[in-house]
Amino acid sequence: MYPMVYLDYAATAPILPEVLEKMHHAENTFFANASALHTPGHLALNEIENTRTLLAELINADPSEIIFTSGASESNNTVIRTFEGHEIETSPLEHHSIIESAKIYRGKKLPKLYSYMLANNEIGEILDLSKIAKKAHREGAFIHSDLTQVLGKLPIDVKKLDLDYATFSAHKIGGPIGVGALYVKKDAPFKPLIIGGNQENKRRGSTYNTVGIIGFGEALKYIKKHQTWKKYDQDVRKLRDELANRILKEIKGSSLNTDIKPGKSLPNILNVSFEAAEGESIELYLDAEGIIVSTGSACASGDIRPSHVIMAKTNDAEVAHSSIRFSFSLDTTKQDIDKVMEVLPGIIDRLQKISTIKMRSK
Amino acid sequence: MENRDWVYSEKVKDHFLNPRNFLFGDESKFKYDAVGTVGNPICGDQMKMFIKVKNDKIVDLKWKTYGCASAIASTSALSELAKGKTLDEALKIDAKMIDDYLGNLPKHKFHCSVLGHDALREAIKNYREK
Repeated sequence: MYPMVYLDYAATAPILPEVLEKMHHAENTFFANASALHTPGHLALNEIENTRTLLAELINADPSEIIFTSGASESNNTVIRTFEGHEIETSPLEHHSIIESAKIYRGKKLPKLYSYMLANNEIGEILDLSKIAKKAHREGAFIHSDLTQVLGKLPIDVKKLDLDYATFSAHKIGGPIGVGALYVKKDAPFKPLIIGGNQENKRRGSTYNTVGIIGFGEALKYIKKHQTWKKYDQDVRKLRDELANRILKEIKGSSLNTDIKPGKSLPNILNVSFEAAEGESIELYLDAEGIIVSTGSACASGDIRPSHVIMAKTNDAEVAHSSIRFSFSLDTTKQDIDKVMEVLPGIIDRLQKISTIKMRSK
Repeated sequence: MENRDWVYSEKVKDHFLNPRNFLFGDESKFKYDAVGTVGNPICGDQMKMFIKVKNDKIVDLKWKTYGCASAIASTSALSELAKGKTLDEALKIDAKMIDDYLGNLPKHKFHCSVLGHDALREAIKNYREK
């Protein structure tokens, strides 16, 4: 890897060294099909069950309530499809794997499904789930929450949150890409998405991804051992807030799309818009300086619409096209923030000077 | 930062990082004869092309944009291609010429790369209607 300031952890986090080592070991040791009756098969299955127990402990669930999947999108799709033909209500801030699948599967039948994330991936906003959960259960409806961004960043208790379903992903916490999990509360309705296998107690067909699940387990061990949510709340929040305040102070026309007041957003995400400067250009000028971020601009995604999340919050396409997300990890340092602030003001100033949009703020 | 692949080709990167003929700041600083504007900030890209014409030739041109990297690189390239050309010659510049000059932009970026020459055509049209 070349030297860079990586601030796109909310998109994916690099694999943790201990996870990589464990997976290398597992490739040679736990190669057998975990569904097989023989000893190597059993040994592989034991490892999978260890990860299941670990995740269950971390979120206050029973191991039997955890299903491993190929990732958060599959977990989300599975829950939504379970409610095919039923009323489905989602927050406007959901990931596309929920919004798009709900569009396809929603109908008029009851009970209804509510799908509300606890924290958003683009702006970090924390939603008030307790109100939604109460409402859902009063109506005899069910509630799912996409907790992809939350794992490791905030403590999670699915019982306190009063959830029927919850989605998790390994690669946002330093585990491998291609592994996720779904919490399904005991006795909640469930329809498998992948049919044709007895794996996962007949809830998800397909050969067990043993090595991936072992890697997920090692990443879970890391967040448990370090109680990472505490470090995010203290150390990462400080850096995030410092960057936010410096941007507001040093860059004209900047505005925050993330509410940085404690309790309002994840401490590791900062979304900012720069008046009259286009997001993809900002991202790529930063990239040329070795600073890696993401944007809500349409051009970046190959879509003609900008970020639906920022549109939902501001209803201002220019703000969405001009948005940049910085996302942090426990590896982010004060030096990283300094490096961003060495180049970002110049990049924005230049884009504003060549812009066809006249600045409203002076 | 040497020796690593960038998102686009070296030529695109060069034009993106060192764009030719940008019009910085106040438009009135450049004495132009006509201007063409295309696109819309709501859609995420807008381009403005300013031309100075003498004896039917584009003697100078400058541009401003609210646009992405492909729009910046391709308009920078276009500004080099168009300078010194007659208006008729400039009208003949098309997306393929810019694409060839830059060494191929990604397919999904085609829309962004035509912004510049759409703005140039608009400017020429406005010049002739004056």
